[in-house]
Amino acid sequence: MSELSLETVDLTKRFGKFTALDSVNLKVNEGEVFGYIGPNGAGKTTTIRVLLGILQASEGSAKVFGMDAWKDAVEIHKRIAYVPGDVNLWPNLTGGEVIDLFVSLCGKHDKSRREGLLEDFDLDPSKKCRTYSKGNRQKVALVAALASDADLYILDEPTSGLDPLMEQVFQERVLGLKKQGKGIFLSSHIMSEVEKLCDRIAIIKEGAIVESGTLDEMRHLTRMSMTIKTEAPVEGLDQVKGVHEITDGQGGLTFQVDSDTVGDVVSFIGKFGVTKLESTPPTLEDLFMRHYNTAGGA
Amino acid sequence: MHGNFDNTLKLVRLVLRRERFNSSVWIIVLTLFSVILAPGMHEMFSDMGTRTQIAAIYDNPIMVAMMGPVYGLDNFTTGAMYGGMMLLWVAIAVGVMNIFLVTRHTRTDEERGQIEVVRSLPVGRLATINAAMISALLINGVLALLIGLGLAATGTDGMGLGSSLLYGALVGAVGLVFAAITALCCQLSSSSGGAIGMSMGVLGLAYMIRAAGDAQGSDLIACMSPFGLAQRSQVYVNDYLWPLLVLLALACVIAAIAFKLNSIRDLGQGFLAAKPGRRGAGPLLRSPFGLAVRLLAKMLIIWFVVMLMLGASYGSVIADIGAFVGDSPEYLQVIGIPAEVVATMTDADKSKIIVDYFAAFITVMMTLVCLVPVLNAAMRVRSEEREGRSEHILSRVVSNTSYMAGYVAIAYIASVLIQFATAAGLYLATDAMAEANPFTFGGLVSAFFAYLPAMWVLIGVAVLIIGLFPKATGAIWAVYGFVAFTSFIGGMLKLPDWVNWLSPMYHVPRLPMEEMAYPPLVVMTVIALVLTALGFVFYKRRDLAPA
Repeated sequence: MSELSLETVDLTKRFGKFTALDSVNLKVNEGEVFGYIGPNGAGKTTTIRVLLGILQASEGSAKVFGMDAWKDAVEIHKRIAYVPGDVNLWPNLTGGEVIDLFVSLCGKHDKSRREGLLEDFDLDPSKKCRTYSKGNRQKVALVAALASDADLYILDEPTSGLDPLMEQVFQERVLGLKKQGKGIFLSSHIMSEVEKLCDRIAIIKEGAIVESGTLDEMRHLTRMSMTIKTEAPVEGLDQVKGVHEITDGQGGLTFQVDSDTVGDVVSFIGKFGVTKLESTPPTLEDLFMRHYNTAGGA
Repeated sequence: MHGNFDNTLKLVRLVLRRERFNSSVWIIVLTLFSVILAPGMHEMFSDMGTRTQIAAIYDNPIMVAMMGPVYGLDNFTTGAMYGGMMLLWVAIAVGVMNIFLVTRHTRTDEERGQIEVVRSLPVGRLATINAAMISALLINGVLALLIGLGLAATGTDGMGLGSSLLYGALVGAVGLVFAAITALCCQLSSSSGGAIGMSMGVLGLAYMIRAAGDAQGSDLIACMSPFGLAQRSQVYVNDYLWPLLVLLALACVIAAIAFKLNSIRDLGQGFLAAKPGRRGAGPLLRSPFGLAVRLLAKMLIIWFVVMLMLGASYGSVIADIGAFVGDSPEYLQVIGIPAEVVATMTDADKSKIIVDYFAAFITVMMTLVCLVPVLNAAMRVRSEEREGRSEHILSRVVSNTSYMAGYVAIAYIASVLIQFATAAGLYLATDAMAEANPFTFGGLVSAFFAYLPAMWVLIGVAVLIIGLFPKATGAIWAVYGFVAFTSFIGGMLKLPDWVNWLSPMYHVPRLPMEEMAYPPLVVMTVIALVLTALGFVFYKRRDLAPA
């Protein structure tokens, strides 16, 4: 895990006066599945385009496999596979033709994978691209990317048009690649998918990284939700350090606890004779919403 | 079959509302074009002698095959000339309008699932196709009426109200026939692209059948085509009504078949099973260059054929041109013969001088037309980028330079091929029509090839614009407009020399009157290559810019 497959240092990208990326620092280790989350317009696709060398960084650096993303783009592309978020294809070519074209433009590819992928993703390659739905166009790009033998797969919201069944196929494929030690850079706004697949995560907001680390590390910095029922009424809970947002409902007493004070809180409530205790760690969605809700003033 | 047409009228209103821009533009453009040209034609050929002379030149097998027979030569009014020359082209344009119109509101809507939504409402099974056909009837009717009234209102020689209304009605009736044919094709094919392709194929076939019939002088064969049929009305000469009635009956019959097929098929299906495409790419498609060839080949081949035919149409008249323009100083000026040459022309060398200048004149004109597909080929790299498709290629093991090189190389190659095709068409038709061909094949080809460096300079400008100003690639057409303008009327307008000097076309030796001069051609070639290279440098350095 010592090698970095991807690294950006103070990466900044401006379009005229608009700053799309503001000092983005990312580090992705080799063989790691990295989740990159943020809503539309936060800068996910711009980051990826810089990494692919089709946009040039205004400031800072972007390196893939230790090479400069802009200058050594072609060399880098021999070892990566990419699925764009918005897949536009040639209306008068068939899906199969496009897949073959894409695969043959890759550095290394494995012909035998193509048929299996077509079957798994249930894609008819003999249809013209103009007849494909958004999901099917995405499948074309996915099949082409997964059929190529890359070291790093860069996937920009690859499942936004897929149905749950296909999403499952996609997740299995990604886990398969992970087992083979391939690196994956997955941009997404589907939290459950990122939670399930990713080793480490970065959250981007308005062009800047607001949080990054493993899911556990990120949870550590936040609160956990607890619901309890006790024999005696709980008194003085609001005085305990690290407890927030106490509500008394039918299901019991619900409150938030800072992760580092969980022990103190548990011993405090123990005095009241606990009959029920439920605790849920924050989901990625909670973490995500926390960043976005505060900004929105909600 | 009760209720098959329920709510048709509401759907007609929907169609017309969605058509308020699109069809209005078609109607306005076609009407203005038709109406303005009538007095224009009269002004250009104001006396009957000139008109009869023109008609005599055009009355040769190649032109008749292209345009149809000439009627009313014994009293060749401007109306007779207009009817003979214009009806076919306007009818073709209206045919194309109807193909798009009907497909848009039947198969395309079906493909996008809009008809499914409509069908789930209390709407008759045939209401959609019925609404599309009624709308086509209204739109073609308005167009027919406007053209007819407009032409009559110009009061042009030989264009009375009755004849003009018949002319408009013929245009509208051919339009309706193609509306019906398209409705039928939309039942046969299961995709809008397929339906449009099939209808366009029928339109092309209709033109060919008419051409074959007219070339052999067979009215019967020509009448198998709606175009030939419309021309048999001899509008502005004899004003026969029966072709109009046959056209309308034909439209009704074809539409009835389409309705029947529509009523017995499932939504989303076509009677001809969609032919599955290729499951994989052939060896030719497996490279960025192969992709560029695949994307451009169809467009370029069509252009090659069109230019071959356009060359041939000029070739078929060139031998007679001297007799026509010989006595008119204006025409001599239009084709670019300087006054001093006109003054010293003797009867002996007059026709050769006129043929030479005319050949040089059409070489410039044709080169300008040939530039359109050539520049389009080069600009394709930018439209691919704008459509977000370059990203797929450039994110793989393909450098920006080699990616763009494919399109630019095709533009350069196409410039050579299309100039050759035009020269070949011109030579072959001249050879077929003239008693003694005034040209040699080599001479004509070098006259056209002399313009290649000038074309390349424009390719260079296009590449530079793509590299430097990707958001303003439309600028190439402004440059093209300037070049076309100065070549066309620069001489006549007496523009300052430096303005003409800016256009690459100005520096091309005008064969066959002038000697071949290599230095300007070499200089322009170098300029073209430098501009192209600069374009590549800037393209490599800039961001990919979708939208």
